[in-house]
Order: sequence, then C-alpha cells, then structure tokens
Amino acid sequence: MAVYKRNYTAYTGAVTPVWTRVLVLARYAFEEAWASKVTVGLFIFCMLPCLVSLLGIYLANNPLARTLIGDHSGRTIAIDARFFLKVLQVQSWLALVVASWIAPRLITFDLADNALPILLSHPISRFGYVFGKFIALFGSLSFVTWIPCLLLFLYQGYSSPVPWTASNVRIAAGMFAGSIIWIAFLSILGLALSSWVKWRVVATGVIFASVFVPAGVGAIVSAVLRTRWGLLLNVPVMMSNLWQRLLGAPSPINENLSMPTGAIAIMLALACCVCLGMLNKRIRAREVVRG
Amino acid sequence: MGIIDLQGLEVRLANRTVLNGLTGELRGQAIGLLGPNGAGKSTLINTLLGFHLPSKGTARVFGMDTHKDRARIRGGIGYMPENDSFIGNMSGVRFVRYMAELAGLSSEAALERAHEALFYVGLGEVRYRKVSTYSLGMKQLVKLAQALAHGPKLLILDEPTNGLDPVARLRMIQLIKDIRKEGSIRLLISSHLLRDIDETCDEVLILKGGRIASLCNIEEERRSNRSFMELETVGATERFTVSIRGLGCECATFPGGRIKLVIPDNIEARDLYVIASEQGVQIRRMNQRRDSLEDIFLRAMDNDPGRTANGSL
Repeated sequence: MAVYKRNYTAYTGAVTPVWTRVLVLARYAFEEAWASKVTVGLFIFCMLPCLVSLLGIYLANNPLARTLIGDHSGRTIAIDARFFLKVLQVQSWLALVVASWIAPRLITFDLADNALPILLSHPISRFGYVFGKFIALFGSLSFVTWIPCLLLFLYQGYSSPVPWTASNVRIAAGMFAGSIIWIAFLSILGLALSSWVKWRVVATGVIFASVFVPAGVGAIVSAVLRTRWGLLLNVPVMMSNLWQRLLGAPSPINENLSMPTGAIAIMLALACCVCLGMLNKRIRAREVVRG
Repeated sequence: MGIIDLQGLEVRLANRTVLNGLTGELRGQAIGLLGPNGAGKSTLINTLLGFHLPSKGTARVFGMDTHKDRARIRGGIGYMPENDSFIGNMSGVRFVRYMAELAGLSSEAALERAHEALFYVGLGEVRYRKVSTYSLGMKQLVKLAQALAHGPKLLILDEPTNGLDPVARLRMIQLIKDIRKEGSIRLLISSHLLRDIDETCDEVLILKGGRIASLCNIEEERRSNRSFMELETVGATERFTVSIRGLGCECATFPGGRIKLVIPDNIEARDLYVIASEQGVQIRRMNQRRDSLEDIFLRAMDNDPGRTANGSL
C-alpha cells in the first residue's frame, strides 16, 4: 500500500491512430506466444530440418567438402524443385505443430477469464481483435515456413556456380505462395478452433484432429462411394498437390491422388469461411441468451 | 448537451424487446442506473458501448451515435464490467498497460499511467503479481484501474461493489467519490444497491421492464421533497393545529392527539416546540423524515412504466 494518498489525474497526452490498435493486439499476442519456453524449443526443433537441408546444399555445391567427408561416388544431391518441395513439406507440417501450440495460447487465455468485454470495450472491433491475433500467429509461423525456405533458396543461388537463381525463380515464388496459403489457412483454423475450446491442451489436440480426422473420413467416403472426391477432405493430399504444382515439381504422389487445383482452392476457401463463421459466433463482447 | 441522450431507444435481443422506447437526457456528474434484475441496465450499458445495435431510436454519448461512432466513443470511455473480466496470466501492471495501449496511449505513456492507476486504486504493492492470484476485491480494483488508466471522459461502472466485503466496499465507494470530486470524469454507475447510488450519484435513471420508470436529479428531488413529521400530542390540539397552520404547515389531525404535518424548509422542530410551550401542549413523540432514494425507487416501481419525474418521454 502506498504510504501517501495519490490523486487521480486526467491524461492529457497524445493518442495513437485507431488503426494502430490492431498492432498493439498483435504485439501482445506475439509476446504471449513467444514467452513460452515450449515455443522456443519448438522453433529450434523446426530449424533442424533446415540445417540438414543447408548442409545438403553446401555439399551439393562443394566437391572438395564431399571429398573431405569421404564421398568419392561422384553422385550429388540434385538441388531442384523436388528438393525444395521436400523442404517445404517438412517445414509446413512442422508449422502445424507450432500452430497447434501457439493458437490456443492467443485466444483461450482471453476466453477463460472472460476478457472479451473489457478488450472490446476499447476502440477495437471484433474483426480487429481477430486480425491482431492472426497477424501474431501468421508471423510466428512465417519463421518456420517461407522465411527459412527462401533463405535456403538464396543460399543455393549464392552457392551455385551456374546462374541458377534466375532459371529457378518459380521455385522461390511457389514456396512463398504455398507457405502463405498454408499458414494463412492454419492461422484461421487454429484461431477458430481455439475460440471454441477453453482448455489449451484440448484445443491443441482438436487442431491436429481437424487436419487428420477428415482425411480418414474422406478415405471412407472414397472407398464406399468409389470416388476420388473424398480426397477433398484430405488436407495433406490436397496441400501436397497444391505445393507440387506451385513449385513445378514432378508429381511425387500417385496419379489417383491428384485433384484439380480449382477444387482444392474451393475446398480451402470453404474451410476458411466455416472458420470465419465460427469466429464470428464466438468472438463477442456479450452472449445473447435465447429463449 | 447531456452526456447521454436517448431518443426512443429500443433494443431487441433474441426476438425479445429488452429496452423499450427509452427517451431522456442524462446530464449529471455521476449518474446512477437502478432497476430490478432484468430491467435492462446491462443492456443499456452494452448499447452505449456499441455492443448492441438499437432496433429503433438512437442513443448518443457526448453527442455521438453509439453505433456509427462507437470507436470514438469507446476511446473516451472507461468500462468496468460486472463479472470477472481480465487476463489472468498477465501481471496487474501489464494488464492495465495493455488496456491503456488499446485505448490509444503510447507504450511508454501506458506503462506510466498503469503504475499510477494501480497505485491510485491501492494495488501498487501487488502490481507485479498475476491477476489470477488476486482476491475478488483486488480483481474489482484492477478492473477499475484499467478503466481509469487512459483518462476517460466517461467511466461506466457495472455493479462496482459486487461481491466486496464491507471494508472493500467502503474503499470502492470512497474511490468513486474521489473520482467524482476530481471533476474531469463523468460517471455512470449501475447497481442494484440503493445505498451505493445514494452515496455516489447526483442523478438517477430507474429502469423497470425495459422502460424508464424514473429519471431524476437526486439532489433536486430531495430538496423539492417536503419534510414529513408525525406528532403525538396531549392538550389543546385544535388550537395548536391552527397556530402551526399559521406558520405555513399543512396539517391533518387524527384521534388521540396525533397530527401529521408537511413542513416548509424554513420551519424547524424548535418552532413547533415554542408554540406548544406557549399553548401548554405536550409533544410526546416527534418523527421527522425526508424522501430517501429508497422512496424515489419504490415510488418509481409502483408507477406505471413510462412516467418520469424529471425527464421527457
């Protein structure tokens, strides 16, 4: 307790523009996400495949290093679209792990303590609230997807003795676009599911389940109805199709598992719409009790 | 111009009319919002904050429409909700700073104001503790601190003494009085405790069934309400009655020497004793009272909804 009485004084200083309040939310959410040691541990874990890929690129471009490690076979790792597709796939699935850990931290703390009435009584809209959290999650996932992927691409361009970069720009564009689509989808999905589950551990499980359980359902649908459209519920297959086409890599999967790009885009858009509907229903300052 | 201006405000939620044609202008420094459960107090507050869209009519705060200008209005409002509402895993100072930044303060100013606000409400020593570890009274105070930190023009307090023990309640009431006395903040206090409103407010809006049952200035109402007195006398009651009528009192006599009086402001009990002494009348018992907020509230509850004491409809 203060030893002397304090008086209230009105604030007379400058006020920040309204649009910057979203960035305040994003900054606090980002700090909240990265305050956890588990997040830092996950990030380090996500960098391990990148280090292995970096080593691969180094060896592929450095015959002397290959000789020094005793590789006299003369075979080199091909650094091409297929290589970067593998890198992107690994990083993207690691991003799912990171998203399922971070997303519940961003939303459930607010919901568990009923903080929305206070948060939304400030000059911030419901859209602004979700967008601020989205920025934080999207930014965090960027550190494990397109940023390391493009850094590896740049290193390959730097290390390659031939003018490799100019002829492979599509790979970089494909990795960037593929990562952006995936982490945007993951961010919306993670926030929507977290907003409906108050317990963080359960929310983490639900996010994983939402990606893999529909794949099983889709397989059953395909088997029962003897159709391949059940694959539209299989997120891993859909995304593999999309990434392969964006990078221009030869198809690594069975032709029977191929889906039209338009159908994949529509399915992702539909999933995002459902998630936005869930957020719209849940992120409210007040619940209206019906009846 | 009033702080809050309601023009035929109607709010429907889940196909139910919760606020029905509210019209009135609230001008007081501290406005009390009274009413039984389900009267629409919280709905009115939520509408003023822009959480609910009016189905008819308008509500204005500082002349701005609560729906169209909600961002600007919220920038000038500090809101302390009724129920628990905080971020439990944040420290008190971080939580208040976060809210101040959302209200528009720069990061540095928000930190400074957060410390000041927490010291002001008496949580200075525990400001680095997580909010989830606070007691109920502390949680109420941290909600008040976050509502104050950005220097609002209007402070909305929804049941501020809810769940507080008598000491914590007195402290909260004293804080509200201090804020009111400082003068830069208008207050809107919702409570079902008449005593809280009586001690802190100068204007009261009483809601009943989603309508305005009464809208009045408590001070003016008290001043205009006459003093009532009941006497039990022995002696020449008739003559005594004539004499006190001569002072300007309204009297009614009853068997057994009982007299009921309505006395003007300039007449004191001493004057009655003087007359009684001159006329040899004994005053055995004297009860004097003025209208309290309770009387105003009970009268409003008895009245048909839609009538106001000092407001327009």
